[in-house]
Amino acid sequence: MSYIAVDGLDKRFTVRKKREKGILREKTVIHALQDVSFAVERGELVGYIGPNGAGKSTTVKILSGILTPDGGSVTVGGRVPWKERREHVRHIGVVFGQRSQLWWDVPILDSYSLLKDIYRIPENEYQRRLAQLTEALQLGDFLRTPLRLLSLGQRMRAELCGSLLHGPELLFLDEPTIGLDAVSKLALRDFLKEENRRNGTTILLTTHDMEDIAALCPRVMVLGHGKKLYDGALPELLSRYDTQRILTVRYEAEAGLPELPEGCAVTQEAGNYKITYAPEKMPTAQLISLLQSAGSIRELTAQPQNIDHLIAAMYREMDL
Amino acid sequence: MNTIKLYFRSMGMLVKSQLQYPASFCMQTLAQLVMEAGEMLAVILIVDRFERLNQWMPGDLFFFFGMMSVTFYLTEFFGRGVTGNFPSLVRSGQLDTLLLRPRGVLTQVLCSAIDPRRIACIAVGTAALVIGSRMSGVQWTFLKALAMVESILLGILLVLGLFLIEAVFSIHSVKSVELVNALTYGGRSACQYPIDIFPRPLRVLFTVIAPFALTLHVPAAYILGKPLYGWPDWTAFVTPLAGAALFGVMYLVFQKAMKFYRSTGS
Repeated sequence: MSYIAVDGLDKRFTVRKKREKGILREKTVIHALQDVSFAVERGELVGYIGPNGAGKSTTVKILSGILTPDGGSVTVGGRVPWKERREHVRHIGVVFGQRSQLWWDVPILDSYSLLKDIYRIPENEYQRRLAQLTEALQLGDFLRTPLRLLSLGQRMRAELCGSLLHGPELLFLDEPTIGLDAVSKLALRDFLKEENRRNGTTILLTTHDMEDIAALCPRVMVLGHGKKLYDGALPELLSRYDTQRILTVRYEAEAGLPELPEGCAVTQEAGNYKITYAPEKMPTAQLISLLQSAGSIRELTAQPQNIDHLIAAMYREMDL
Repeated sequence: MNTIKLYFRSMGMLVKSQLQYPASFCMQTLAQLVMEAGEMLAVILIVDRFERLNQWMPGDLFFFFGMMSVTFYLTEFFGRGVTGNFPSLVRSGQLDTLLLRPRGVLTQVLCSAIDPRRIACIAVGTAALVIGSRMSGVQWTFLKALAMVESILLGILLVLGLFLIEAVFSIHSVKSVELVNALTYGGRSACQYPIDIFPRPLRVLFTVIAPFALTLHVPAAYILGKPLYGWPDWTAFVTPLAGAALFGVMYLVFQKAMKFYRSTGS
């Protein structure tokens, strides 16, 4: 049996809304998850994406034992999360990008020491893990600084350390790189890869940052309107939507563009023409020779479409 | 045993956090002292004006005041997690964070806050107890001391139980703060005076629903040597159990509410 086995998961929320008139409130049922099934093996790194409100957080909450589903079955390491909450959470770690789990006003080392008591981590095990994480996350300089005085990047590293002290088998990350600068982002990704490789920690990552997914997750699941829409490799998913290329051209002298065939979209920006086209219909060589006929070209750059655009195209097509 | 150790470790850390802002801490403690001294002033004014309230002499009134003050503010000191602002834990989603740890929710809520500023109120209450028992000429015996300790400890459970009502309401996302405040803060204000000076509806409220009378007043009257309603002495050791009973019931209701919370989501 797989480490995480989810079968036919179903969750509904009842929301009460005030009617425009009167004091009676209307009940609406939101189907947050419908018949979601998947399996994750030990040691996998899985990205979980979908637009806001797709049901990502609901899934994570059910898998971490906070929520009870309305239907379907879930086991994580053979345990049903919401039935054996305490035993279950001993083996998982959760990091929310926007919510702290450490104590605000005390040095982070004190927070860790309290987590040791909460999780009943043996002293020598705690010291070993702490030393390892302090080095890997470079926490040494601010172990004795209160959380509230740390920068966002430092805080995220501190949170990660807190969620890994008890050596969880499974780590949930919810938007871990939100608001981080480029250096912190890259360092965080490297750390997660290393943690996964060295300790075999299974990682489930929800994010809107597609570069996180591209850099970390060999496998990605797409969720929309509470249903699972895709489960597989990211490049494969993208290739379905990656049908267009962008060519940016700049002429020596101010020259008008030649007449372009249908299917080419043009935007103009400070003397640059940006042409979006589908190479399948309009071969690149043909397009370039067409452009050359209008004047001498000073600069020509070709680039693939931005990954965010592809995802947006995918969401559009899936009607999300 | 480990839970108690965890609680004290948490307390140590919370004191550390509070001391991050020493000036604010001192000012607020001082404010608490002024506030509670004001409450005691009200008793002094009554004592000054009337020679007695029913069979209660001035010293007796100080004693009743002290019992309530010490009990209520010990609860706020050590149980601030429950008495503080449970509804905000629900609204902010902090409750989810607690569910992610391998400990009981109530344990963690208790470990999440203390309020050392209340030491000022407890000091005022203790002074009232000393003054009251001196003025009323209480002859202290082992049994009387035992009755007082039992009464205060079970009184703490009673206050915690009443605040749990508010917690349960907030989990069911019902706004009911005013209603519950009538029992908690209202109970504290009313029952710092002996129960038998109140009209019948209030006597019923604070005997049956929020049993401050059973938990605090019966033993206090026994210690003062003027048994409430002329009940026999042994009742002073039995009726305070009402506080523990209320806490027990609310504890079970709270666990039920947490089940509801986890099935409905936030």
